[in-house]
Amino acid sequence: MPAPVRLDLLDPAEVARLGGIEIVAEGVVEGFLAGLHRSPFRGFSVQFTEHRAYQPGDELRYLDWRILARSDRLFIKQFEEETNLRAMILVDASRSMAWRGTPERLTKRAYADRLAAALALILLRQRDATGLVTFDEQVRQVIPARVKTGQWTRLVRGLLDTPDGLGTAAHAALQRLTALLARRGMVVLLSDLLFDRDLALTALRYLRHRGHQVVVFHLMDPAEVELAGPPEVRFRDPESAVSVVVRPRELARAYADTVRREIAAWRTACRRHGIAYHHVQTDMPFGMALRLLT
Amino acid sequence: MSFIHPLALLGLAAAAIPALLHLLQRRTPPELDFPPLRYLSEAERESARRLKLRHLLLLILRTALIVVIVLAAARPLVRVEGGGAHEPTALVVILDNSPSSGVVVDGRPILDRLRVAAHTSLARTTAADRVWLMLADGVVRGGSRETLLASAESTTAGWQRLDLVEAVERAARLVHAEPLPGREVHVLSDLQRTALAAGRADVPDGVRVLTLAPGRAVPNRGIASARVTEGAAIVEVTGSGAATAQPVPITIRIGRDRGASAARGLAALGAAVTVPLPAQSIASGWWTGEAALEPDELRADDRRPFVWRVAPPGRVTATPGAGPFVAAALAVLRDARRVGDGRDVVIGDIPSGARSVVQPPADPALVGQANRALAARGVPWRWGETGTPGPIVAPELAIIAGVQVTRRYRIQGAGSGERGEEGVLATVNGEPWLVRAGGVVLLGSRLDTAWTALPATPGFVPFLDALVNRIVAGEADVATGEGAPRVEFRTRGTDTIGATVFGPDPRESDLTPAPATVATAAFGGKGRAEVLEDARFASERFLGTRRADFSGVLLVLALLLAAAELGVATRTR
Repeated sequence: MPAPVRLDLLDPAEVARLGGIEIVAEGVVEGFLAGLHRSPFRGFSVQFTEHRAYQPGDELRYLDWRILARSDRLFIKQFEEETNLRAMILVDASRSMAWRGTPERLTKRAYADRLAAALALILLRQRDATGLVTFDEQVRQVIPARVKTGQWTRLVRGLLDTPDGLGTAAHAALQRLTALLARRGMVVLLSDLLFDRDLALTALRYLRHRGHQVVVFHLMDPAEVELAGPPEVRFRDPESAVSVVVRPRELARAYADTVRREIAAWRTACRRHGIAYHHVQTDMPFGMALRLLT
Repeated sequence: MSFIHPLALLGLAAAAIPALLHLLQRRTPPELDFPPLRYLSEAERESARRLKLRHLLLLILRTALIVVIVLAAARPLVRVEGGGAHEPTALVVILDNSPSSGVVVDGRPILDRLRVAAHTSLARTTAADRVWLMLADGVVRGGSRETLLASAESTTAGWQRLDLVEAVERAARLVHAEPLPGREVHVLSDLQRTALAAGRADVPDGVRVLTLAPGRAVPNRGIASARVTEGAAIVEVTGSGAATAQPVPITIRIGRDRGASAARGLAALGAAVTVPLPAQSIASGWWTGEAALEPDELRADDRRPFVWRVAPPGRVTATPGAGPFVAAALAVLRDARRVGDGRDVVIGDIPSGARSVVQPPADPALVGQANRALAARGVPWRWGETGTPGPIVAPELAIIAGVQVTRRYRIQGAGSGERGEEGVLATVNGEPWLVRAGGVVLLGSRLDTAWTALPATPGFVPFLDALVNRIVAGEADVATGEGAPRVEFRTRGTDTIGATVFGPDPRESDLTPAPATVATAAFGGKGRAEVLEDARFASERFLGTRRADFSGVLLVLALLLAAAELGVATRTR
């Protein structure tokens, strides 16, 4: 019997061609969970709530052996969450996120959507209340954190209903989030971080100060890491329309240094404030990105 | 600096290509979205200074590369001290192949050394030069380098003398007229002192006269002249060097065509020796002979031909007015069969007959009548006032030279009174005493001891012989010319009317070289002329315009520039 294909380890662009966000996210999560010995997001709940049919990938420790012995059928025991874990996924929907270096890749936004959906699915399967906020210059979608059935579908629809925005005002959006996230929980930010670092860090630090566990996924297209292009080109910022004429070949190393410095600066600043920082390129398999959270 | 291919410099316009490309490339770059522009701007801001310098450096390198390649293609010539090519030069090579150049020194003719120097000078010329070759004949030969090289190679010692001062002046004027950066005259000569005429060549500014220093001088003896007069050959020996002090034997050969006979004598340097000719040469007719020395290093002047004519005995009549001394002398000549009876020549005090020897009338009252008779004959001379006594001066009549004249009439030209030296055979106190005009010979004194001591001297009879057989009949026209030793006769119908004797100029026998200071002064003075030994002559040749082809260095520089450009262009930070 051939080994099942693990979508979480395939090229994101190839995986995305298999279908919509739901299909991709479910496929990724299935593969991801199959590859784990133990869920990193295992909840703290211990109170049984219901049974459900076993699905490949479910952990055997939750198998109800009694039912199996009686009826020779596989059922998984599900528990009521008793912890305060509430996950809020923040997806940057600014215009810069709708960019990709080559048509063969996903845009940062598309990558972020699928990663957010997969992450949400994992969390919801663990009975963690999961919500979603999309934002550009302003907050576009707010789906409060819930754990009830159909929450994941709502989250996915929220992602799909959020169009590509214009500029990015992360500071304002994050400030508004602080009001929405009254209870302590986990905040996952998916963004290309192309905004003012100090202002954004102020907001993130505030969340951290409120007791939230903050995780930042810094998304970048590989073409944003290594500068390439025609001998001479006018690069234009899609958000501000500011442009500059450069010769990529002669500026490549200086640019790469600048990017490395920027990433290092984000990482250092986040670490200083207890914020988890992860640099993710859009050609990284989704499973690898999810693995960063373990 | 000059260029072999100056038209290639038009390519320097291509040096603007990098700048133009730089400007044109900046016009319409493609436009692309790039979200992390802030990183890009920061990187550019940090690299702006470096990039500007890099762009400037690349522009300079590329422009310099094109300039250097174009310059290399134009083949620049740069002034150098050592070897190398030279700027276009107008050059006259004076190859002195006069007879003296045939002298053998150290086993080979000196002309060989001169020819090698000429070959080297000509071989060093390029197509951009204007070159001429001047030989001893004074003809300036132009043409291609190959043609002139062939001319120089085939040059042999000639028979014409070269006046070096005049030759250098002509050559200097020739090269000065050429609009070329370099102007040189190379003088390749044995540099005889006698070849430098008095005076100094007028060498214009900017013309260099390089003279090859003469080699070792050797002693030489040569026959300066040979002629026959009064039954004897007079041979003059000339030469140079200490060894010429001793008298040398001379051999006279006569009548090559009639069975040669020989006579010998000893001659000292600078002196004329008279060698009596054998009796058979007294017979009438044209005679040729040759005076020869023992062979020495210069063979060209070791022999010299000569020619003379012995006229048939004249038929002479003496009128009573001729006087007793003339009658007596004619009797002697008649006995010796030097004259005969007849009226071919009439001696008297008035012109009569076809040819007349006329002496002034004894009676002063008849002088006027005699002058009118001379005028009637078309003689352009007249007797004038009585002149002062004095000795006879007659370069061509040695037998009467120095004889005292006590009484005489001044012989004056008719009309203006002055006739110059034409027809004057002898003078007294600088005034004509013996003149010839057509068939009339006019004497300033009567041939009488009351007028002159001549009738009482031993030379009187030979003088009268010469007068009636040679002088009044007209001297045989014997001319001299420069050329290979030979005799050429001139004829009119079946008669031989004259001859030309060819031989080298006597000055060619003096091989004494001119000191360097004298030659330098004669060829334009210091700053213009130099006398140089072989090695220095070779190094100084074209020195004023010597150039090295700089294209090789430029190509190496171009390679270095290309490597530098490649390094800067591929370096990304």
